[in-house]
This record gives sequence, structure tokens and C-alpha cells, in this order.
Amino acid sequence: MDEDQTKEETTFVVDEVSKIIKESVEATIGANAYQHSRVNQWTTSVVEQCLSQLSKLGKPFKYIVTCIIMQKNGAGLQTASTCFWDNSTDGSCAVRWENKSMYCIVSVFGLAI
Amino acid sequence: MSEVFKDKSQRRGHGARGKEATGRTKDSISTVSCIDELAHHDDNARMAITTENTFQLGPNKRMPVPAVTDILKDVLTSYLQEEKYEVEWSQKMTKTICEVIRARVKELMIPRYKIVVLVHIGQLAGQSMQISSRCLWDAANDTFASFSFKNSSLYGVATAYAVYYE
Repeated sequence: MDEDQTKEETTFVVDEVSKIIKESVEATIGANAYQHSRVNQWTTSVVEQCLSQLSKLGKPFKYIVTCIIMQKNGAGLQTASTCFWDNSTDGSCAVRWENKSMYCIVSVFGLAI
Repeated sequence: MSEVFKDKSQRRGHGARGKEATGRTKDSISTVSCIDELAHHDDNARMAITTENTFQLGPNKRMPVPAVTDILKDVLTSYLQEEKYEVEWSQKMTKTICEVIRARVKELMIPRYKIVVLVHIGQLAGQSMQISSRCLWDAANDTFASFSFKNSSLYGVATAYAVYYE
């Protein structure tokens, strides 16, 4: 039982993280339409909110958070990632979110210390 | 081993494309991608070995940022220079470039560092976009390198993060 708990505390729980990401994106962008002048502010605040929520989890992790916001006009975008790390502790989570006028892709990497 | 890796990289790759925007009741949707099964347990033998403490508190060798930037530049330009944007090609290419960069960075043989490589390839069609990234880490030891490439029909952005672990 104790072992289970410590495991829970030191592993990267994808569900938890994806919930954090979705909440921060919804809170920041919500139903807004794409506005060029506000994109800078949006990406910053999505990343910032994710990080502050992640740090509140109080796990021994270092985090990398990336946010992409792209205007929707039919243009394509591919993103991929590779990692060299300890598979048993570290983890990643990517959330793709879209509304009528933009795409938002947030990736989070958690690396155990 | 290579099959496991391929499987994983496919699950991690994801793209955005404006094709399914019609006939939806909600205003916005989101999808999650991650690694489903954690850990391939082929390194159990290594776990059994107990080693003495090193009492080493910091890295002996830090990540050489200019060298890594050179790798990113070299790989991106050599793979994308003469290319035109196509969806399927680009899906394969992001993964290939990711793997090549990771292999090249690993060849630098920097001990005690974990590496994360992110590659984006997008079509140039007059749209605007922004990528931003922020990290919660030890700024003294951890670092990143980034490079972006652009030709007449596409752009590519590669970022490599190096994170120290004890």
C-alpha cells in the first residue's frame, strides 16, 4: 500500500496533466476568436498557468511546457517529439485543442529529478 | 527494440489539419496523446547492479549549446532545403528529423543528461502562429537549443532540451 502511494507520487500521471492543460487552455482562450495582437499573451498565459498548476502537484519533476497557437486557414502543421530519458519515471502529454479560428497544441514533458 | 520505439514515436506524433471543422456541436474540441504503456522492461538486468555513491553534486560536462544548435541547423537544412510541403511526407519527416537529432545529440556523449527533442514542420500559407515554451528546471545546469528554418513553401522549427538528473 505504501509502495503504491509513493509510486503514485513520483510518476507522471497523464490524466492529471491533460486535465491541467485543458483547463488552462479553456480558461485562457475559451471562445475567443483569433486575434493576432493577443496571441503572444495567450501562449504566455497558457504556459504559465500549466506550469504553476504542475508545480502545485508537488512532485519531484522538472517540467518543459510548450504551447503553439496557429491561425486556422487550411495550412498544415506537423509536430513530433523524441526523448532520451528514463521511461519508468518520466512522461509526456500533448493536447490538441481547436476552436473555429485557431489550433492550440500544448505539450508537457515531465522529467524526474 | 526498434519496433517498440517506432510504435512509440507514432503515438507521439500528431498533426493539425483543417479538415474536420464542420458538423460539430461544440465550439472547441481537444485530443490528448501520450505514451500508453510506460517502460519497456528490458533493462531489469541493469537495475540489479548496485554501484557505490559518487558523491558528485553537479555535472562534469554541461550541454554545449552551440554544438547542439549546429546539429539542429545541419539536420533541418539538409532535410528541408529543397522540399515542398506535403502532408504525408511531413508526418514522416517530423519523426525522422526528431530521431536523427536525438541520435546526433546522444553522440555528443554528455552523461547525466536527459534529452527532449521537439520538431514542428508547417506549411507557409499566410497564417500566423506562435510557439512559446517555458520550463520549470534548474537554470544553472539545464539548457536548450533551438533553430528555425524556412523556405518558400514550409518552415521547420527544432528545439532540443537537455535536463540534468542525478
